[in-house]
Amino acid sequence: MLKKVLKSGEFAVTAECGPPKGADPEAVLKKAGLLKGNVDSVNVTDNQTAIVRMSSMAACSLIRSIGMDPILQMVVRDRNRISLQSDILGASAIGIRNVVCLSGDHMRFGNQPQAVGVFDLDSIQFVKTVKDMRDESKIAGGEALTKAPDMFIGAAANPFADPLAFRVVRLGKKVAAGADFIQTQCIYNLERFEKWMGMVRDRGLDKKCYILGGVTPLKSPGMAKYMKNNVAGMDVPDELINRMQGVPKEKWKEEGIKICVETIERLKTIKGVSGVHIMAIEWEEAVGEIAEKAGLLPRPII
Amino acid sequence: MTNNLERTLAIFYCRNMPESGEEVRQSLEKKYGKSIRLFPMPCSGRIDIVHLLRALEEFADAVYVITCPEGACRYLEGNKRIGKRVERAKSIIEGIGLEKERLNLITPVAVNDKFSLASYAEEIMKGAIKYTPSPVFKKTAHGAGKTKRKGSKAP
Amino acid sequence: MITAEQKPMNEIRDMIAPYKRILTVGCASCVAECAAGGEKETGALASALRMACKMAGDEKIIHEKTLDRQCVKDFVIQLEDVIKDYDAILSLGCGAGVQAVAEMYNEVPVIPALNTEFLGETRDQGLWVENCLGCGDCMLYFFGGVCPLARCSKQLLNGPCGGSQDGRCEVDPDVPCAWQNIIDRLSSFNALDRLEKIYPPKDWSKKRGAGPRKIIREDQKR
Repeated sequence: MLKKVLKSGEFAVTAECGPPKGADPEAVLKKAGLLKGNVDSVNVTDNQTAIVRMSSMAACSLIRSIGMDPILQMVVRDRNRISLQSDILGASAIGIRNVVCLSGDHMRFGNQPQAVGVFDLDSIQFVKTVKDMRDESKIAGGEALTKAPDMFIGAAANPFADPLAFRVVRLGKKVAAGADFIQTQCIYNLERFEKWMGMVRDRGLDKKCYILGGVTPLKSPGMAKYMKNNVAGMDVPDELINRMQGVPKEKWKEEGIKICVETIERLKTIKGVSGVHIMAIEWEEAVGEIAEKAGLLPRPII
Repeated sequence: MTNNLERTLAIFYCRNMPESGEEVRQSLEKKYGKSIRLFPMPCSGRIDIVHLLRALEEFADAVYVITCPEGACRYLEGNKRIGKRVERAKSIIEGIGLEKERLNLITPVAVNDKFSLASYAEEIMKGAIKYTPSPVFKKTAHGAGKTKRKGSKAP
Repeated sequence: MITAEQKPMNEIRDMIAPYKRILTVGCASCVAECAAGGEKETGALASALRMACKMAGDEKIIHEKTLDRQCVKDFVIQLEDVIKDYDAILSLGCGAGVQAVAEMYNEVPVIPALNTEFLGETRDQGLWVENCLGCGDCMLYFFGGVCPLARCSKQLLNGPCGGSQDGRCEVDPDVPCAWQNIIDRLSSFNALDRLEKIYPPKDWSKKRGAGPRKIIREDQKR
């Protein structure tokens, strides 16, 4: 369980599970099964890239049913404050104990570009709302709850987006709003990440929240190039693309995992980094191998 | 000499064009009769989309705009702006099913090329026959007689 | 100003199809400024429609008139003397203008020739950009004169999001990141500390809290 592992001082491991584009619970259980034992908790994405998928909450519930600890991702793109707060109460009631509060990818990227984007709250206001619900048992506006939800609150941070200097100010706002833990965008440029961590430590933010560095194993040079050129907020150094291109096709995945493991080893040494968040999208099988090679197994039972 | 083509062309031109004064205009009108309508402008940039459309609506099988050469517009950008308006006017007429070839922009290449209103008009009128009569001027659905062009006599 | 763009010709023709005597009414205010519905554009549209009718053998009468504004009763009433001659009005006003005309002459079909778009500014010749949502609770002071609701694609009050790169929005590289602008602007007059506070959730009730809004001013009434 993420909270316990972080509080114990152990290097935590989380991974991601994307729900299916359909109503089949087996699809979720299969993916979760691949992660079981290799991670402390698993993030379930919320209509990521604005593509309609099974709801995060439902998928989290399925994951709980096989004894794993889900992290409910919630975006503010699709719901107003009424349903966001309502979902927090519901999630807590069915035993979900972790939530990550996100803005969400814009509708334009997904398969429903004609949908209205709600954005009633932004991610920081949402973090604060959940904190107030948990710690002061009240909803936005101050009305009291009959029972407070129990949530470990997470938020995202992107050390690779612009403007660089302001990123840390914004992280500070997320922490001040009540974020307990942060998961970063996937890291390929370790130098830039270390620079960001330096600024984080300067502000003492590493002492106020747990920071998990995000990693994504590369499957091919094409994937690396795509992420570099087509995904906003990503920094993929050319040397990594060259590394991937430098090996034959049958060795791509192996090299991608190798790079990922090296990144994790480096993350372990950076002061202020409390864990790793492995986002092996549609490649959940790789998580176990990565965790093992990075010396992260077995996961502690606390 | 009258021209026995049944096409009527409109030519908008900039008064700064060489040899385009009133006498030239009158002699061209005499030469081509009802087949030509000439519109001198202080600058081709003063032409608006509505002028071009009204010409096509009322009498013209085709419309020409002659600008000054690039860089030679005395108001600096007039010849560029009319180019953009002609493009938009073309897309408007395309949108109603009228051929965009009926609207033409001529920008002579250089100032010292021998170009005059008369020589351009002659070139243009020689090519007039390539235009089919504009579908804007045809019988009405009830066949109650030809839709008259403004300014033309009934056949 | 309110911006708009002309509807595709075929859509306009479909809507006016059942009518025989149409008055095309332009507006000399906002839509003239954005070159969509002013006197020139009204003339051009009416001419194009008349040509289309002639080509199709469709005997419609299409006249044109441009009002100073279509959204003010005192100007709309200038149609009083002529409206009886027509069985429909094709309005090149913005949505507000179309509806104001329809309110006054509610037995005459009023057809919109434009798609009304946004509240914005003429940033440059031929370029209009959205900059105001009409939220009813202006916060431009806090954001250095750049509105994060209108100009941030995700309406963040505590931005930027993780997709801001090189001052561009992830949604469209041609769209500047409003938050980059806000940060630059506030930095330029040493007020970046305005962004350290956590801006609370927006009070949207000032925009749509009780349905369509109105303003009443007793001192302005007759």
